[in-house]
Amino acid sequence: MQLDMFNAFCNSADFSGVIFYYNGELSQNVVATMGDALKGRLEEEGNLGPKARKLFSSYIEMVQNALHYSPLAPNGGKLGAVAVGKRKEDKYFIVCGNLVEKKHMERIREKIEPLRSMTLEEIKKAYREQLKNDRHAEEDDISKGAGLGFLTVARDASEPIEYAFDEVPGHSELARFYLKAIV
Amino acid sequence: MNDIYLAKTTQSPEVDFRFKEHVLSMTGEAYPENANDFFHPILNALENYLASNDGKDIEFNFRLTYFNSAATKMLFNMFDLLNESAASSNRIVLNWYHDEEDDTILEFGEGVQDDFQALEFRAIATTSA
Repeated sequence: MQLDMFNAFCNSADFSGVIFYYNGELSQNVVATMGDALKGRLEEEGNLGPKARKLFSSYIEMVQNALHYSPLAPNGGKLGAVAVGKRKEDKYFIVCGNLVEKKHMERIREKIEPLRSMTLEEIKKAYREQLKNDRHAEEDDISKGAGLGFLTVARDASEPIEYAFDEVPGHSELARFYLKAIV
Repeated sequence: MNDIYLAKTTQSPEVDFRFKEHVLSMTGEAYPENANDFFHPILNALENYLASNDGKDIEFNFRLTYFNSAATKMLFNMFDLLNESAASSNRIVLNWYHDEEDDTILEFGEGVQDDFQALEFRAIATTSA
């Protein structure tokens, strides 16, 4: 990359409010090290209070989801991209993109779509019900966790969470999944 | 019954279970790669300890500042174990340390208090460093 292009890249990221960006291989080490870096970056923003924690929480849920559920990329390894940035009015966004198997798209949609129309109180209620659900492992044999990930992201967000799927050219069995939260 | 001590890492808390003194503490953050793998041995040891004690005054110091969703479920199971013991044999105080600005930890604590009423729940607000 030429230096003037790097400059243009940085300016464009600044203009979009991006304060933190990663695109590449994911591992638990990368998640933890990058998490530390993100915490530091949020501290520099100053006085975020509980918002910093909510952003960090959303970050962990999103990238650990990517780490646990995304299939290996065509060239091996787990890949993911994450960006955190500032919008107007002291709101921050976090967006994560990773590969998913196309056959799981419907399942993801069914988990997220209801959350988008729920009030915060309804989300908290659903969260507590799921926390007490001892049958989760039987009901959902794909899940590797407690079934609380999307609920946690929705709970920490101040607006309905957004998601999208995209084609992966040349790989009809894969899709790119994007999840976005405003904190 | 041997005490348990695990040092804090970036992604897992310090676990200091002094079974002989009946003082159990967890401090730090919890988002290990696999929450089941991390918590199962701890919960097993805790279960054995509780089963082999009766009529004791047990203090649990909960000082976690962040835990991911998978760890939350494990912690919920841990409080369930403590509650069952408190309902039948031991007296258990749960000291719930939370940053005064952190509504998430306090709300989770209030839920624990509602669900596990045999525990003597004490919320202790701390100020951020």
